[in-house]
Amino acid sequence: MSKVSKGVLGMANYDTVIGLEIHVALLTDSKFLCSCSTAFGAPPNSQCCPVCLGLPGSLPTINEKAVECATKAGLALNCQINLFSKFDRKNYFYPDLPKAYQITQDAYPLCSRGFLDYYVDDQLVRTEITRIHMEEEAGKLIHSGSSIVSSDYSLVDYNRAGIALIEIVTAPDIHHPGQARLFVEQLRLLLSYIGVSDTKMEEGSLRVDANISLKPKDSDLLGTKVEIKNLNSFRALEKALEYEVSRQGEILDQGGTIRQESRTWDDRAGRTMSMRSKGDAPDYRLFPEPDLPPLCLEPAWVESIRASIPELPLERLGRLEEQFGLSRYEATFFVHYPDFCQIFFDLAEYDLSPKAIVNFLMGDYARLARERGHLDARRIAGLLTIVKEGLIGANQEGVVLDALFSSEKSAREIVKEQGLEALRDSTELQGVVDGVLTANPDLVARFRSGESKLLGYFVGQVMRATRGKADPEVVNKLLEEALS
Amino acid sequence: MIDRHDVMRMARLARLELSEEEIDQYQEDLMRFLRSGQKLQQVDVAEVEGTSHAVHVAHELRPDQVGTSLRQEAVLSLGPRVEQGFFRVPRIVEGQE
Ligand SMILES: [Zn+2]
Repeated sequence: MSKVSKGVLGMANYDTVIGLEIHVALLTDSKFLCSCSTAFGAPPNSQCCPVCLGLPGSLPTINEKAVECATKAGLALNCQINLFSKFDRKNYFYPDLPKAYQITQDAYPLCSRGFLDYYVDDQLVRTEITRIHMEEEAGKLIHSGSSIVSSDYSLVDYNRAGIALIEIVTAPDIHHPGQARLFVEQLRLLLSYIGVSDTKMEEGSLRVDANISLKPKDSDLLGTKVEIKNLNSFRALEKALEYEVSRQGEILDQGGTIRQESRTWDDRAGRTMSMRSKGDAPDYRLFPEPDLPPLCLEPAWVESIRASIPELPLERLGRLEEQFGLSRYEATFFVHYPDFCQIFFDLAEYDLSPKAIVNFLMGDYARLARERGHLDARRIAGLLTIVKEGLIGANQEGVVLDALFSSEKSAREIVKEQGLEALRDSTELQGVVDGVLTANPDLVARFRSGESKLLGYFVGQVMRATRGKADPEVVNKLLEEALS
Repeated sequence: MIDRHDVMRMARLARLELSEEEIDQYQEDLMRFLRSGQKLQQVDVAEVEGTSHAVHVAHELRPDQVGTSLRQEAVLSLGPRVEQGFFRVPRIVEGQE
């Protein structure tokens, strides 16, 4: 396990210990245990049925695709897939839980003992995944105030209740808030690569609860942990953890003790607040779910899921660096934008240097493609090829690129139609160079008496006269000859 | 041994309001369950494989297809207070900083 720098807030005396629980809504059309739609944005409470509302006499059935997605996530996170897993009923009363129980997996989860490797400041670190289990999503609460604590009442929409979730639980081996953020970012990217979730934090399809405690640097004993809920953005995750590091550090510095509790992040106020539930401490009275038999998977089925896992972000990063010689920065760009990466791979099939492709894709093209959608790799290759051949100068590249976006023509056709071919014929350019020098006798004199930077001005004038088509190399050569 | 306190705690967890007589009745019923359990514990199960479920059926997975849900009015009719298509619930937690 690699060591990571610690104590971002300068709490020099303590080590920060963070473990994460990440809830991920799986990308299925219907809910986990009933056939209600999972579509986002429907009118509230319009996607509910007797099963997901827990009405008497209803019976749940497991969605095959949900098991497939959960297994895929487990395999991509290097977990052991348990061929035998089972479901349990977790009983509690909370307004977002219409049935007053949640079907989850307690002692026998689907996946256990995995890990995720990711970069923290150029260093590859590993965070252990303790387990991944399947469970039902709760409904959505909309609070009347800025946080649950300051709300007099809340509104409930049960459309989300019963959507298939996985809960990914990490070991407490994350050492600072920034690392927690990087872990979740990498996890999110990986989940989007394997297509098991749309991972939209703003729509709640990826949510993070964080357990955080501080312990004295020389101690092996873990401190009292606090659970922070309601972390629905990367920023919130990092800010809330930073806040807790300093809050807990201050309490410990003053000789106080940390209360084991759940706290909620109030984004507007920029602080965590204690959530004291009304009534008893939680007692979930877990028992085997009577309405669902155990989940028994065939090894061959698990292998077929394994075979469907595509190249994952970290492998892809390595391949872009090693096979194509990209820098870490460039490779990271393509890993984060798989659509750009696909075009990179398509272009790499042509006789073009990776460097030229990367510079092109990460340059003006990136902006234009985001606004107007991607071009065919074939048409981009046409442009890069004529640039490489020197048919057009660098100045004309942007003109041709714009035309590629606004027409169906090939780069060669555009160049021909608009007469954009680079001018490199010395005889033709000689005339332009002579014209520029004749028109500026004073400047020529100043250049000759030592103002060598005026060369740039002359080059500019020639480029202007040729509408940017002159080959700068030839122009430079001709100017130097004429001025010497 | 189950005492009245246990019954009251279970009732509270299940949000059940029990009268004094009902508490006595449930205490007696639950004691009977426990006694049956104790009887079962005397059986030698060294040779018996663990049971995780009462019925032995192979799980049947359902294809991921959207079916019909209840109408919104039908769903909302199940709650005591609604507002703009939502259920309205009172304050959930008491908080402090
Ligand atoms: Zn349903």
